[in-house]
Amino acid sequence: MITRRLALAAASFAAMIYAGAAAAQTPVTIGAIEILTGPNNKYGIAIKNGFDLALDEVNKAGGVLGAPLAIAYEDSAGNKDQALNAARQLIGGKKVPLILGPTLSNEMFAVGPIAVERKIPIVGTSTTANGITAIGPYVFRTSLPEADVVPVTLRTAKEKLGVKKVAVMYGNDDAFTKSGYDVMKAALEKLGIETLTTETFGGKDTDFSAQLTKIKSLNPDAIVVSALVEAGAGILLAKKALGIPDSVRVIGGNGLNSPQVPTVAREAADGTLVGSPWFIDKPDAANQKFVAAYKAKYNMDPDQFAAQAYDTLFIVAQAIKDAGAANPEKIRDALGKVKHNGVMGPFSFTPDRDPADTSGVVVIEMKGGKFQIFK
Amino acid sequence: MLAQQLVNGLVVGSIYALFALGFTLMFGVLGVINLTYGFYLSIGAFLALFATQHGVSIWLALPFAALACGAIAVVVDGLLLTPLRRAKAPELASLMVTLGATLLLYSLANAALSTDIRRFPPSVIDGSAIDLLGVRVTLTQCLIVGSAGALVAALLWLMNGSRLGMGLRALAERPDTAALMGVNAGALVRLVSMISGGLAGACGVLIGLNYNAIQPYMGEVMMLKGFAVIILGGLGDIRGALVAGLIIGLLETLTAGYVASSVKDAVGFALLVLTLWIRPSGLFGRIAVKRA
Amino acid sequence: MPEFIDDFLFTYQTLVYSLGINGLLALSMYVVLALGQLSLGQAAFMGMGAYVSALLTVKIGAPFLLVLLAAMLVPALAALIVGAPTLRLSGVYLALATIGLGEVQRIFFLNSELTGGALGLSGIPMKGGLVSIYGSLGLALVAFIFVARSKIGRAMEAMREDELAAGALGVDLPAYKLAALVVSAMLAGLAGALNAHVTSFISPEDYGFHAAVSILSYALLGGIGSPFAPVLGAFILTLLPEVLRSLADFRGVVNGAIIVLVVIFMPRGLMTWRMGRIGASTRRPS
Repeated sequence: MITRRLALAAASFAAMIYAGAAAAQTPVTIGAIEILTGPNNKYGIAIKNGFDLALDEVNKAGGVLGAPLAIAYEDSAGNKDQALNAARQLIGGKKVPLILGPTLSNEMFAVGPIAVERKIPIVGTSTTANGITAIGPYVFRTSLPEADVVPVTLRTAKEKLGVKKVAVMYGNDDAFTKSGYDVMKAALEKLGIETLTTETFGGKDTDFSAQLTKIKSLNPDAIVVSALVEAGAGILLAKKALGIPDSVRVIGGNGLNSPQVPTVAREAADGTLVGSPWFIDKPDAANQKFVAAYKAKYNMDPDQFAAQAYDTLFIVAQAIKDAGAANPEKIRDALGKVKHNGVMGPFSFTPDRDPADTSGVVVIEMKGGKFQIFK
Repeated sequence: MLAQQLVNGLVVGSIYALFALGFTLMFGVLGVINLTYGFYLSIGAFLALFATQHGVSIWLALPFAALACGAIAVVVDGLLLTPLRRAKAPELASLMVTLGATLLLYSLANAALSTDIRRFPPSVIDGSAIDLLGVRVTLTQCLIVGSAGALVAALLWLMNGSRLGMGLRALAERPDTAALMGVNAGALVRLVSMISGGLAGACGVLIGLNYNAIQPYMGEVMMLKGFAVIILGGLGDIRGALVAGLIIGLLETLTAGYVASSVKDAVGFALLVLTLWIRPSGLFGRIAVKRA
Repeated sequence: MPEFIDDFLFTYQTLVYSLGINGLLALSMYVVLALGQLSLGQAAFMGMGAYVSALLTVKIGAPFLLVLLAAMLVPALAALIVGAPTLRLSGVYLALATIGLGEVQRIFFLNSELTGGALGLSGIPMKGGLVSIYGSLGLALVAFIFVARSKIGRAMEAMREDELAAGALGVDLPAYKLAALVVSAMLAGLAGALNAHVTSFISPEDYGFHAAVSILSYALLGGIGSPFAPVLGAFILTLLPEVLRSLADFRGVVNGAIIVLVVIFMPRGLMTWRMGRIGASTRRPS
């Protein structure tokens, strides 16, 4: 016991000397608030994986400001109050100059105002709801909002498949799927596509037979769905079981853009159309390198949340380098000017701190359990 | 469309009934709202999933999962509720303990199993739908409706037609007197836990087969509906669970089909509140409502 | 070091506010439990208060005190509607009816344009603070202590211990139960309003079954021997996830295990001494 305590004391003493001698080596620590536990942790974990992979590469290339970059993770468990506590801890306690996350738009609506109050830049990598960056001048996001992606998907479906009348289904108990629906509704009106019926469901529902039976009787050209993976896969399976023809495609929002959809829905997922800011088989070298490195490190395929996180960390690291100091105000100014060419394509921020470039958006379709570019 | 909607409602209703059966039995005999009940449903689905992934036939995996869940229910009851029964702790303490246990068990399951949604291998059961006069049904759906009916019949016989049932009813009415009359209360409590847990586990397997959405939290989602079903049917009443399950399932489906899907979930709870105003003992409650 | 203190307050602000608000919620649960009843609608009452107050502040700009008053009156009305038929029945019925109330309300919030659906209401001004939160908690505690020491308190205790005997001795059971539920709904509504005005964002999912269960666990962990007990329970269970943050995935396991162990080994809660006795022992002859 005594020896261990002595050893500890010696070690910490050594660490102090070391820290004093190499002050430049003290890592630059930024904060991240993600859902690492609880029912939605798959999003947070994919994001963390993306960050960590990019972090390795940033540090291998010399870090930032002559020191390694580090991320202090806080778990929100998908809970608003916990996300708030985490943000206050990071800002007031750990004094981070920048926060990544939080995972959900709902959490950002609670946490964003705190960051704005303390003038700390906060960068959402997965918050796609409307109104996120309107929270205040320190709130950024790198994920393309649904408002940029969904119109591209619907326009493509109209032009290439001749879709004229659709049925709409959305999860009405979740901010993400509800705001996806708002975007779909607006885009459908703008494109002059007729909406035969609008049906809702709960994100934890498993039975969609009543809604789909009604939709079947209305004979739509396609079914437009705003759902997360769980409900989305259930809808695809029920659609097949109820005998709605395969020619009636499901056109999804970002929630259906996940490799998990075909693992659950299998062949019922075929034909699903989604728009995506990223997809795994994008042939460019940067993306192929990312996918290979991710598979090697985590032994699974990356999803778009991981990809967005991966790019975001490079963007943030660049901003810290450009700022020349770990100073929130300087980093915020630098962020606005960063130009990055990442796995999602060319990236920069609009003056409103949203992603400026939508050229990376691709419409992809499910075929044989894999997404591929829709032609 | 109406015929298909009625079939849809029948399937959903049978699932509610299946789930509520064990729940209402636990309350009826043991007098406890056991919040861990939903957990056995999740575990049942997962156990059968793992078994089938190792090549076990679903017809073996189903009873195996049911038995295992029954055993877990017996252990949970023995560890948590029996000490409270012995100490004659207030009614609310047992509710609280199952609440804590639910949190604990779901967190463990979540850490061990991850929250990814999974499904049975497609080779396990023929999932394709048959067209019967324009109405589409699957084998699993027939299985669900059939087993709901069969299990209700079996439980009714057990409770009302067997010697064992007499003991169970005695235990439900007056635990102390029953013990004095030679009823082996401890064994019967274990039996009820076994049956209830088994029912939940089997229900989980069937839901997993039907919807292909296996997740640690799947049982939790069913709990709220379960409350509505057992109140409407009458707390502790087996026939009530079947009838109320079917009523709520059918009404929900018809509401979604002909009114608006957004108010579908309100149906069950509106019925619950209505029941309490008009006939608090539920559809089949015979005894005047027990006082706390 | 003013900056240090400022940082400390900033870091723990949400936590400090949550402690007070959850304390109020625990008290609202206590009022019902103290009569041997169980409500799982405290989260629903809280949500009602939160939405009513947020809408009044954001849409009309009503004065804060008036807003708080409204946030107490609306849930009180709901409590009358749900409580009247069920309070003559056993505790389980009130519990399940209040779950029904919570679900119906959640579906209303999700589908109404006024409440913003699943997106909730954001940008609620930070009008609440230490004074309003701990002032409310303090006032409620003082009021409950007075009640616990009075004739009403003795009647309440009698009901909890033996309802039939209390009724036979002339305690008007239904009136007491309904009054308790209404007071409880008012307190929960107040807590909801205060919470909405310190977190700036509310959404329907904040007031679901899980929230109801947490509120119940505050009161049961502390026990219902005195009004201080449930507040202590709330403090412990609010701090627990913060202290156990590093345990990541196992936080729920530990939290659940603590609840289970406390209930089995201390089925009457952590604080078992009774208010009435304290009152009796400190009463001076006059």
